[in-house]
Amino acid sequence: MSQDQILITLFLLNAGARIRGCFRRWQQPVLRGPEWFFNVPVQSDFYNGEGRRILQHYRMRMFAPIAIEALLTAAIFISGHLIYLYWLVMAAAIAVHVNHLFSVDLAERQARKFAVPEAEQPVSAVMLSLTPRRLRDYSNRNVERFIIFATVAATAWLVRYYLRSPAPHDIRTVFGVPALLIYYQLGFLLVKYGIVTRRTPIPRDQAEEHLQTREEARKLHLKSLDWLRVFSTVTLMFYPFILSAPQEKRSFFVSILWITTLAVSVVQAVWQEVRRRAVLKTSLRARPMRMPDFLHTENSSRLVCYQPGTPMLLIRGARGYSLNLANKLAQIGAAYVAGLIALLVLLQMGH
Amino acid sequence: MFLTIDTNDARSIYQQVADGIKGLIARGELKEGTALPPVRQLANDLGVNLNTIAIAYRELQKEGLLAVKHGSGAVVASLTSTERSQDELLRPLRTALTELVLAGLKPGKIIEIVVQELRTVTKGSK
Repeated sequence: MSQDQILITLFLLNAGARIRGCFRRWQQPVLRGPEWFFNVPVQSDFYNGEGRRILQHYRMRMFAPIAIEALLTAAIFISGHLIYLYWLVMAAAIAVHVNHLFSVDLAERQARKFAVPEAEQPVSAVMLSLTPRRLRDYSNRNVERFIIFATVAATAWLVRYYLRSPAPHDIRTVFGVPALLIYYQLGFLLVKYGIVTRRTPIPRDQAEEHLQTREEARKLHLKSLDWLRVFSTVTLMFYPFILSAPQEKRSFFVSILWITTLAVSVVQAVWQEVRRRAVLKTSLRARPMRMPDFLHTENSSRLVCYQPGTPMLLIRGARGYSLNLANKLAQIGAAYVAGLIALLVLLQMGH
Repeated sequence: MFLTIDTNDARSIYQQVADGIKGLIARGELKEGTALPPVRQLANDLGVNLNTIAIAYRELQKEGLLAVKHGSGAVVASLTSTERSQDELLRPLRTALTELVLAGLKPGKIIEIVVQELRTVTKGSK
């Protein structure tokens, strides 16, 4: 299989996997029935009047990143630089989620004008769990051992190959892809840490249901991340074989990696869908409630702000949310992105 | 182990946080030496201003319930280490008892309430 064929298959596989997500986001506003719009309890005639327009606009906004992606895909195919498909897939995955976050918030704010007045009052009492949550409580020891062992073994093999091989090798050819994979691994760990340590208050009413929903959602996200981490490690394990194999055998190893990728992706997609349905079932038991705003500060109209006095990652802003750069996770995330860009520039230099 | 904040409560948020932590210590849910979340993290989690939690922690530190060490955050101090006099400790109890007497409750009923409240406060502690 050529590199272009792999990229096209990867792109198609990703597009196929995202179809279910499109349906889910399409259905999401009305999941709780006609009395609800997302988590806003609406009046009975909401969907006959203004609600219909709000729903349509939300759904149209959902397709905005896909439309942009389609245009960029066409441009990439016309240019013939199919390697950009890889970056497009990554950027699209982030864009879809960010767009979803802002679109839901915007649609909910529009719908609140038509909400059932008494049900829209924020709850008066909230609870926050102080029970510590540690990364190791949500980690499978065998998975962690496998990741560490495979990473160390693959790196050692590559170092040995680089030092002992009779033919000289470019350091970027040998270590470029593994460095990127290990850096991704760090990023997954960072996200995992963020999910484990993130706490938000829950309403005192129906506290049990809300706790259970959050715990199940947390476990689903963390296990999905573990899938990605294992997958990234498997790719790293294959890399020394591909690199050190004779030219005529390389395509054999690439094919094995490719079949593994395909199999893992299918199993993961099925598993995730089953688990997601279970989480959804639990979440429907917990009635959404509006949380009180303890800050009473003026909403920032910018997408990014710096408010050291209010250390939350996301602060409610005039446009939905404002990313607070005074938050430690935001700072680590920004440093991670800067490091990724620096690594990519370093890998591209001289090529 | 939960902290509860109620917007209908007449107490300020910092006072509710401080009282909530005191309650957890009294019930034995937060034991001596247990680390509390850093000020920044708790403010982030609750969605309140940094100063709100800082004031609550400072109050608890002043009462000898928390030991704040630079770099390692706040930990629950030894319950016997409180330096407040007995008179100081009894003052809020006297105020509460006065309120109950003025409300017209008989001494027997007041004792019953006090015993019941004491059970609630120390529930879980050994």
